[in-house]
Amino acid sequence: MSALLELRGIGMTFGGLRAVDDLSFAVQQGHIVGLIGPNGAGKTTVFNIITGVYRPTNGDVFWQDQRITGTAPHRIARLGIRRTFQTIRLFAEMSVFENVRAGCHLRARRNWWQGMLSLPAQRREETALAERTHDILHRLDLAQVADEPATSLPYGMQRRVELARTLAGEPLLVILDEPAAGLNDAESAALNDTIFAIRDSGVTVLLVEHDMNVVMNVTDHIVVINFGRKIAEGNAESIRTNPAVIEAYLGTEDEDEEAAA
Amino acid sequence: MAESAEIATTAPLPASRRSGFHTSGAVGLALWAIALGVPAVLNSTWVSVAAIFAIYAITALSEDIILGRGGMFDMGHAVYLGIGAYVTGILNTEFGWPIFATMPAAILLAAAVGALLAAPLIRLRGDYLLVATIGFNAIFVLAMQNNLGGITGGSDGLFGLDVPRIFGLQLASQPAMFWLDWVVLGGALLLMRNLERCELGRTLRYLKQDELAATTLGVDARAAKTLAFAIGAGLAGLAGSLFAVQLSSVGPSSFVFTESVTLFAIVIVGGQGSIPGVLLGTALMFVVPQIFRDFAQYRYFVFGFAMIVVMVLRPQGLWPRRRTAV
Repeated sequence: MSALLELRGIGMTFGGLRAVDDLSFAVQQGHIVGLIGPNGAGKTTVFNIITGVYRPTNGDVFWQDQRITGTAPHRIARLGIRRTFQTIRLFAEMSVFENVRAGCHLRARRNWWQGMLSLPAQRREETALAERTHDILHRLDLAQVADEPATSLPYGMQRRVELARTLAGEPLLVILDEPAAGLNDAESAALNDTIFAIRDSGVTVLLVEHDMNVVMNVTDHIVVINFGRKIAEGNAESIRTNPAVIEAYLGTEDEDEEAAA
Repeated sequence: MAESAEIATTAPLPASRRSGFHTSGAVGLALWAIALGVPAVLNSTWVSVAAIFAIYAITALSEDIILGRGGMFDMGHAVYLGIGAYVTGILNTEFGWPIFATMPAAILLAAAVGALLAAPLIRLRGDYLLVATIGFNAIFVLAMQNNLGGITGGSDGLFGLDVPRIFGLQLASQPAMFWLDWVVLGGALLLMRNLERCELGRTLRYLKQDELAATTLGVDARAAKTLAFAIGAGLAGLAGSLFAVQLSSVGPSSFVFTESVTLFAIVIVGGQGSIPGVLLGTALMFVVPQIFRDFAQYRYFVFGFAMIVVMVLRPQGLWPRRRTAV
């Protein structure tokens, strides 16, 4: 079976820094795949390459066997790949409803002049997309805050709004950049359920995460990178016991914690 | 897919989502209707002031599409007003086109020039675009002054434009021109209101707030911004056409850089993306000076000072757009 998304020999150099080096992995349809690694391992760079923000120095990205390397970000979104950001990027001056409605952008098929003339077809579409937005708000338990300014909400809820905005576009693949960052334990546990629910609705998930609770519990497949190179790949159990991973990743994290203490 | 079925659903939205806008729309419509009665109660000086106000209000609204909504620093907007005025002037005086026939040409040429100028520039940072548009404004005025192609009339400009005629009816009287301008202003306001509610209007807001996030939702930033620039320039072109008709002449001095600065300031001082804000700004910049004509030499001093005060005390403008419009 062919992969939904596949990276082949991706390399990325910034100046003299080799951020990603000969990285290959595949994301199978219907899976929840985790991309993990210590800080600065190149995870976010990989996300930026997949979503077209960066063009890789070497290698290619394939989407359903089509080469999409260097495709502009808005075209990547059109393919059905949507992402969230490590630092939440909601539209600050808009309500929760408006933020999630923004995710429906590509479903608005009426032309600009139909909108400016407010023709009946356009108004019907507006109503339909508003309904659709409300459905998503209900699904993610955000209906009661629909009219609140998005950035006035608690952090965990803002994450959910960003997720709702992503799902509003009916993606085939969602890429979550540290979705558990800044969440408390209860929120983090709830996130696990949300991720399962996304997968069960037929959407493939690729996530970068530091929170081992999330990574180990939800993923079907894990790719571990360090210094831009893949050091291990497999299911949660095999990663948990992989000596290279323990040394590179878990070891580093312990040191971080000691340094922080 | 399920698209057609979804579009057929027309369940009502929550009440909170429907009120508000309709009220302000009704108030606006009432004010506009009252304003149509100006020629009946005020003298001819004021009728022409009100007519000019309508033309500048359309121009300021068009600048708001680019600057206030699109977030693109267009400091050369008088160019598009000028293109519209010259297209109408040249086609009418040189080629004998009826005034109304020149208007589509005025809109299209202004929009095309706007799009051609904007397309390569909107990727640049705001300050570069600002400088480029200033430069373009200077080139435009110079070209007109130097009688480009022998048809712009040089620094004197063009004179003796025909009056607009529709179905054999001459719109020659001052009230008739006033009504023409105000009807077009009404249309422009309707377009602005619709823009606010349609996908393009929202897309511009996404881009202004967070371009990267917008892009990952599938927004084609370059296309949306170029389109906004073209629509803004086209609307300014229409205003320019009315401007030429109102004065029955066209000259380069009406489209100089300081005019662009004033249009820019109207949007910033009035309130970006705010229809009432832009109208208020236009009134302050163009109507108030008529009242204080005797103090003409102090005008820019007072304006400059007022602008500083507004920017310090109300950086969002005198009448900012509501935080979350629907």
